Amino acid sequence: MPFRRLFNWFRRIFRGRKSISLGLYGPPNAGKTTLANKISLDWTGEEMGKVSEIPHETRAVQKKEHVVVKTGANKIEMNLLDMPGIATKVDYKEFVEHGMSKEEAQKRAKEATSGVIEAIKWLENVDTALVVMDSTRDPYTQVNITIIGNLEARDIPIIVVANKLDLEDSKPGKIREAFPQHHVVEISAKTGKDIDVLYDAIAKYSR
Amino acid sequence: MDIELEFISSDALKEKIGTENKVNYILDRVRGNKILILEESLSYEERKKLMEADMAQIDDEFTGIEFDTLGGDEIVKTWTEKLKKNLIKILGGKTGGLTVIGPSKLIREIKKHPQKISLLAGIKEE
Repeated sequence: MPFRRLFNWFRRIFRGRKSISLGLYGPPNAGKTTLANKISLDWTGEEMGKVSEIPHETRAVQKKEHVVVKTGANKIEMNLLDMPGIATKVDYKEFVEHGMSKEEAQKRAKEATSGVIEAIKWLENVDTALVVMDSTRDPYTQVNITIIGNLEARDIPIIVVANKLDLEDSKPGKIREAFPQHHVVEISAKTGKDIDVLYDAIAKYSR
Repeated sequence: MDIELEFISSDALKEKIGTENKVNYILDRVRGNKILILEESLSYEERKKLMEADMAQIDDEFTGIEFDTLGGDEIVKTWTEKLKKNLIKILGGKTGGLTVIGPSKLIREIKKHPQKISLLAGIKEE
């Protein structure tokens, strides 16, 4: 929506803001924290958060400020926001299956639900979003559709990240088919494959 | 355990004024172990509010929802589009689409296709 773009531009100018908020969204275990760590490590020399195979490892928004990405003539300063994975269900028994005690699992489930709510509330406050998807899974889920739909409705620039290219059964083409209206970048956050393509896209599409 | 399906007309949903009322009405019924089929799609704002309210209600017994919606995926951005949509509702018209929502402990799989939603329900083994 042109009015919102204009409003955001004015807001940035008059607040004297030099950096943007870049949010990493997606379902649990899509590789958001692995990607946030990669970006942060490449441009600040430090990682951001702990990575785990157990879902909902990130249960509160993790922030890294003043990350400056430079590609060619483009330079963008951003606050990197690693969001908790968005889900519609959280069952503490799933964490018990990963070896946690019942009490630990219940605590983690409670924190996970709060994290999801926090991530949803942030949908209105990011300037640009990376929507991270696991390219070995079906991308046409209600979580992905709802995240993208709400960002689109607010005219927030979206880059869809087809992650986990390093896995044999990855099918990034399915993500392109599901979201043809958006710029899709295929990467492996784990190995760093094609991460430069993502940096170019961030510099090009962020605002 | 039996699985109860409930088909809810868009007229019944129209009586729920505001997103919060609509979301609470849906979640109350889903918490009663019903799978709902709504005669309308949910807007992105309603889906977002539904997910937020769902997360706030999760506890040891209620583990959340699964849902999918057909139609309503177009973005309503301009005030003229919003006005048109609201006018259709006020005049008693139907905006179309459908939504399937149920408790995650009863829905094994829900899958959206361009023209249909397939759902596999059953009691999950403990």
